[in-house]
Amino acid sequence: MIEALWVNLDYAASVVLFLIGLYAVIAKDNLIKKFMGLNIMETAIFAFIVALGVVDGGDAPIMGEGARAPFTNPIPQALILTGIVVAVSTTALALSLIIRIYRQCGTIEADELREME
Amino acid sequence: MKKALVAALLILAAIPLLLAVSELPPHGSASNATYTHVSAYYLEHGAEEAGAENIITDVILNYRGFDTNGEVTVIFTALAAVLAVLLLGDASTATEDKPSHSVSVVVSFIVRLLAPFIAMFAVYVIINGHISPGGGFQGGTILGALAIVLTLVLGEDEARRLLPERPKPWLQAAAPLTFIGIGLAGLTDTGFYLGFPTAEALSWIRTMWLLAIEIGIGVGGAAIIASIFWTMEAER
Repeated sequence: MIEALWVNLDYAASVVLFLIGLYAVIAKDNLIKKFMGLNIMETAIFAFIVALGVVDGGDAPIMGEGARAPFTNPIPQALILTGIVVAVSTTALALSLIIRIYRQCGTIEADELREME
Repeated sequence: MKKALVAALLILAAIPLLLAVSELPPHGSASNATYTHVSAYYLEHGAEEAGAENIITDVILNYRGFDTNGEVTVIFTALAAVLAVLLLGDASTATEDKPSHSVSVVVSFIVRLLAPFIAMFAVYVIINGHISPGGGFQGGTILGALAIVLTLVLGEDEARRLLPERPKPWLQAAAPLTFIGIGLAGLTDTGFYLGFPTAEALSWIRTMWLLAIEIGIGVGGAAIIASIFWTMEAER
């Protein structure tokens, strides 16, 4: 298993990144830190899927003069391009909700918010 | 106690993930199953069939145009939601003790100097999206970042003039609107929503349509990013 992980080191790295994000989501109390953790998890997924499309010695999949095979896989890159934009949208919405919570309750610490109820 | 629980949970999550990852086909091999079916077709036929030399542009705007159409609607919806969350209700607390911004002369000068070049780079990235790395989303982000940096340096009132009030809603909705426009053009032309003309001789029309969508996404994305930033900025 260790050997297989060494070959797939890129994937293992994104698993580690994902776990770092998960840690921030479950262990931090500050809502902004929680959301940063969620963003780190998103980044891990993006890195994982883009790494799935890598081909050894592959060029960018742009045809035209001077282009020569092999090319990297275009589909993961296209998927992640759309994924990043959706991540930006969710980030904007979550941050504005956090601003609203702060204005309403005067704090963005999850434990203090829980006591307030 | 809590720390031990968190650690246990993380280890519990790590084991299946790492096991699954170690079972995947080796990284970077060209015989990977994801590489030998659909991608192979796209790489072989994409440039002629879909209208752009950049295969990624072909995939997001032509082959999977529906997906991107929905997605530009998502960012537009995000803007609408941000405006609804922050502007509706008690907006009275804001705009009272806004700190007068003071930026160092050096930063201000450099930003003023670079601004036109950043704008030009953004336009280049947008309109070359079909033949080189780049495209509407990337160029739009650069334009939006330019609007943000100008807001930080020149102050909000100056920078807001970049997006005049009257065309503002149209610019913010530019991405979904151009997408729907091209989709309807495809509907009248081929009978399919977002259907691109397929004839060999019409490849320039396909390229023009892709370019139109890229420009729409670029302008719309920039307007949305700048508007979200300004809405949050007004909260301070």
